[in-house]
Amino acid sequence: MKVNELIEKTGWKNISTEASLDKEIMGVYVGDLLSWVMGKGEQGQAWITVQSHLNVIAVAVLLEFSCVIIADGVIVPEDVLQKAIEENLAIVLADCSPFECTRKLIEFGY
Amino acid sequence: MFYDFHIHSCLSPCSNNDMTPNNIAQMAKIKGLDYIAICDHNSLRQQPAFKIACNQVGIKMMYGVEIQTSEEVHVCAYFLEMNDCNLFQEWIDKKTNPIKNNESFFGEQNLCNEFDEVIGKEEYLLINSLNASLNETIDVVHCFHGKVVLAHVLDRVNSVTHQLGFIPQDCKFDGLEVKNLNQMITVKQKHPWIQETTWFINSDAHQLIDISEPENAMSSKEFELFWGKTV
Repeated sequence: MKVNELIEKTGWKNISTEASLDKEIMGVYVGDLLSWVMGKGEQGQAWITVQSHLNVIAVAVLLEFSCVIIADGVIVPEDVLQKAIEENLAIVLADCSPFECTRKLIEFGY
Repeated sequence: MFYDFHIHSCLSPCSNNDMTPNNIAQMAKIKGLDYIAICDHNSLRQQPAFKIACNQVGIKMMYGVEIQTSEEVHVCAYFLEMNDCNLFQEWIDKKTNPIKNNESFFGEQNLCNEFDEVIGKEEYLLINSLNASLNETIDVVHCFHGKVVLAHVLDRVNSVTHQLGFIPQDCKFDGLEVKNLNQMITVKQKHPWIQETTWFINSDAHQLIDISEPENAMSSKEFELFWGKTV
């Protein structure tokens, strides 16, 4: 499914650009150690994390993730959001835990 | 001068109970070090007794603390004035996650006086993240005239490169801590934008035997460059 479909079905909130929602979610990765994610993540994946440092955007762009799902209601700093907008990367805020986010995505067939 | 600016006292739950202020100061003196610092996890409360111990032994010290940020990155913060330490400690207290220490699991967090007598314990677990990001922590340290050294930058646990993938280019650190010169070369290769900074090779000792031998030296000029003034 595309990121905009995920938003519609879950009620999670995208705080980045509209255009970023058009990307296809090819799979899912869950992790908070950015070094680890850099080594293991694959193109097109939706990335579920509780990290909200600026480097999250760099890693997501590097790996061409379809979106970043920030779990547990973690607040995204303004400079991080600005960078995501600049990079046309969807930042999806979810109030639930990484586990609950993962469960949702499994329900959608991932 | 030979230095070791990252030593854990018995206040850190993970260090040995014989890492008392006088034991550390005396062991460093025996080993032939000139300048040392204790960097306990998230607390500066051992520093006053350590200052006295260092004065008595005749070894130089600066105040230090190893902060764990919300990204779980470890950074060493250093100060020259006790007043700045006190103000920074107040900030730490506000940013602490109040989780009680489980001594049997994590270890004791013993606070000593200048005679190495245990006069108290830190109630809350010190090896835990503060509710403050790396950037915020650095800004606050600078606000209280301190300096920031990113700790053990290539470690596989709690280092900036492990937690955040690489050193952020906008990170306003004052120095970088590595385990050896090879690591320094690796860090430079991975981050070509790092031109001038102060490099530290510290022990991160949790027991007396691990305090550095007189192997890592820094000139007074390099040290003054780090502080931006005569120290």
